Amino acid sequence: MLASLSGVIKRYGRVEALRGVDLELKRGEIVGLLGPNGSGKTTLLKIIAGLLLPDRGRVEVLGAPPRKRRGKVVYLPELPYLPGWMEPPEALILLERIFLNFNEKRYRELLRVLRVPDRAVRSLSKGERGRLELATILALDADLYLLDEPLGGLDLVSRDRILRSVIAAWRQDAGFVIATHLVAEAEPLFDRVVFLGEGRVVLDAMAEELRERGKGVRDVYLEVFGDAGLPVA
Amino acid sequence: MRLEPNRGPIYLQLAREISRWVARGDLRPGDKLPSIRALAERFRVNPNTVVQVYGELERRGITYTRRGQGTFVREEVDVKGLRRALLAEAAQAFLEEVSALGLAVEEAIKTLQEVTNARQPKRGD
Repeated sequence: MLASLSGVIKRYGRVEALRGVDLELKRGEIVGLLGPNGSGKTTLLKIIAGLLLPDRGRVEVLGAPPRKRRGKVVYLPELPYLPGWMEPPEALILLERIFLNFNEKRYRELLRVLRVPDRAVRSLSKGERGRLELATILALDADLYLLDEPLGGLDLVSRDRILRSVIAAWRQDAGFVIATHLVAEAEPLFDRVVFLGEGRVVLDAMAEELRERGKGVRDVYLEVFGDAGLPVA
Repeated sequence: MRLEPNRGPIYLQLAREISRWVARGDLRPGDKLPSIRALAERFRVNPNTVVQVYGELERRGITYTRRGQGTFVREEVDVKGLRRALLAEAAQAFLEEVSALGLAVEEAIKTLQEVTNARQPKRGD
């Protein structure tokens, strides 16, 4: 068991972002975290990463509170996080200082495979920037990788490279959770899909089991969220 | 080859595709299949899915796995039989469509012949 949540509640003032979430994450799994905007996906990922504390309930990563497992669980934010003036080699220096488990060799390999230009972040296209930031996260030797909308707003080729890089980074002993709106495109990557609706887990199922009933994850998503959901690619 | 998530489990679709490779000789008896990771990256699917694919192929007697060395096409695999079996599956799907259109088999065979003729390059003219 990589991580487990039980009865997790999180409020922002009067708004309940998470209303009692139970979840288990196992080694070797790639989990798709799907749901409309505002359903609590980012809040959930941040709680697993130890960046937020739940108001109620328990969350554990490798048997301990997430904050005790810094470095074992890593989070890639949705919004760009690297400063505009930084260039990929400088990002390397920064990240090496922050993270003990930063793998320089893998970082360089990822930059190469993802074709990230050697220029300052501010001069990169959205896709190039997204690929660079993914490289910084996949270069870490972590157990649990939490990716928050890694494909959002990026061009087709960037999205393709990112999905392939996640597959290349997959290990038997690691886990991935990918929050995304691009359900149809990312679908074949998922072992399991967790649908989050208004702060609750609405569905938690193995992807191939859904397909055995002749429905793709995209079809089930539309059934579950129907008109309330955002346009799904 | 496109994977259709709403046409049943992905691992079965991929297993059929690999079977086609063997049926048409792109993979020969004794040949080594791509590593699980390589196939997963190529088709952009979860590596666990590929594990299931190779398991299915082994179950069908098309491949075998040697620990630490990889997955190989069986030497004694019946390529002709495999080709016939895959074609029979395709025929089944075709006939289901025919039936769904409320047509008889004779009509289907006629149409098959017409389409085949249309595909031949014209001679003379």
